[in-house]
Amino acid sequence: MTIPTIDEVTQALSKMVADKMDIDVATIQSDSSLQSLGLDSLDIFDLIFSAEDHFKIKVPNDQIKIESLHDVSLLVHKLIIEQSK
Amino acid sequence: MTNISNRRRVVITGLSVVSPLGNTIDELSKNIFSGISGIKLLDEEFVDQLDCKIAAQATFNPADHFTKHTYSMLDRTSQMALHTSIEAVKDAGLEITDQLKPRMGIYLGTGMGGAHSMEDGYIRLYRDGASRLKPFTVLMGMNNAAAAAIALEHKLTGPNLTFSTACSSSAVAIGEASRQIRHGYADVMLAGGSEALLTFGTIKAWEALRTLATQDENDLTSSCKPFSADRTGLVLGEGAAILVLESYEHATARGANIYAEILGYGSASDSTHITQPSVNGQTATIQAAILDADIPAEAIQYINAHGTGTMLNDVTESNAIKNTFGAHAYDLSLSSTKSMHGHLMGATGALEAIITTLAVNTNTLPPTTNLNNPDPQCDLDYVPNVARAIPRLNYAMSNSFAFGGTGASLVFKKINP
Repeated sequence: MTIPTIDEVTQALSKMVADKMDIDVATIQSDSSLQSLGLDSLDIFDLIFSAEDHFKIKVPNDQIKIESLHDVSLLVHKLIIEQSK
Repeated sequence: MTNISNRRRVVITGLSVVSPLGNTIDELSKNIFSGISGIKLLDEEFVDQLDCKIAAQATFNPADHFTKHTYSMLDRTSQMALHTSIEAVKDAGLEITDQLKPRMGIYLGTGMGGAHSMEDGYIRLYRDGASRLKPFTVLMGMNNAAAAAIALEHKLTGPNLTFSTACSSSAVAIGEASRQIRHGYADVMLAGGSEALLTFGTIKAWEALRTLATQDENDLTSSCKPFSADRTGLVLGEGAAILVLESYEHATARGANIYAEILGYGSASDSTHITQPSVNGQTATIQAAILDADIPAEAIQYINAHGTGTMLNDVTESNAIKNTFGAHAYDLSLSSTKSMHGHLMGATGALEAIITTLAVNTNTLPPTTNLNNPDPQCDLDYVPNVARAIPRLNYAMSNSFAFGGTGASLVFKKINP
């Protein structure tokens, strides 16, 4: 499996957020807080769910400690590498 | 039952529907009094795998009313209910102030709640072999999801309950909501029902019960034939119907338009069989509503019947009406509008309550369509095929009966008879 770069992960996650929240993807910055993008706790679960599907990873419950889109990118990228082994 | 002397009058000040006969009250009214049917070939990919390929579907696209973020967290049942609640409040011209919020609640009926969401989850899990479900599955599937969405939207902090008594769910919700106002627990209530169960699995389950109508191959839209000797069963439908109920004082103080008064509500349980209706249970239900309304039975001029179009229901209901009203049963009129809008299950009582309200408002009795072969056992006036204008409709009733045996009857009164 080809490991995507962190930028590619961020790009894919930004698209998911834009689609889910009905916002323009251009308005999303990687350091945007998820709260400022309008996501509540349930929306974050849903975003993680979509990321799990898209990147074929499993995010353990105890690792969902995230504030910003950048946090999600780092976590997802780390898990892609770990779980591709 | 005692007549409580300090009870308050309960009036209807707002109406809204998503229904197989249109999504506005004007459209519904035009269709129902013109005898138009909303029953047609089911517009779903799986239709070829069904024995019964007809249904009364609502035309409702959530994207026309909500953002994707909102509608993707709601089952179709909740989407339709939420939209209907917003339109009902608009129709009532009601401003929900901070002062009103704790005095306003929502009582909703649904038979199968988030049927689409649960079935989607099972398809994913069992057919597609997924190892997990979407995070919102519980929140979309739970029976109180629609009422919760409505309370959240309007910020209502008064009573919020969901009633699930199969086909009588929303009639029960309206009756119980009217009591909240009558006895002073609330000033305004949204009350009604919502149902969206036209999924492959749910229709198959209904097929297995052998209560669904056989398609009329000459005219699919005429397949539901209540009180007719050639009736073959019910036609499943979907939709939402919500009424704004208000204390008379609250409504008049703000100069609201009043459609009608809810004068009485009665409920009783058959407790004889899980599906077979009981004449005694239905009689007890109707009598309880008349007693609650505190009027002579002879005052009732029109009944919107439960009238499912099954062999058993229509004879049983006719007999219960004869039992209750005696000779007057032959003077009053009744009709089953399910011949046009199908059976909306948990939403049907509310849709029929709205139709009864419109009847009272316009002095017009909606017809029972497709009634061309009268059943000798159903020998009352069922307003066959054509709506009928009468000089003045002062008192009307709407009946709802159900699998599980919970009956509910509501009595409506013209506001100044």
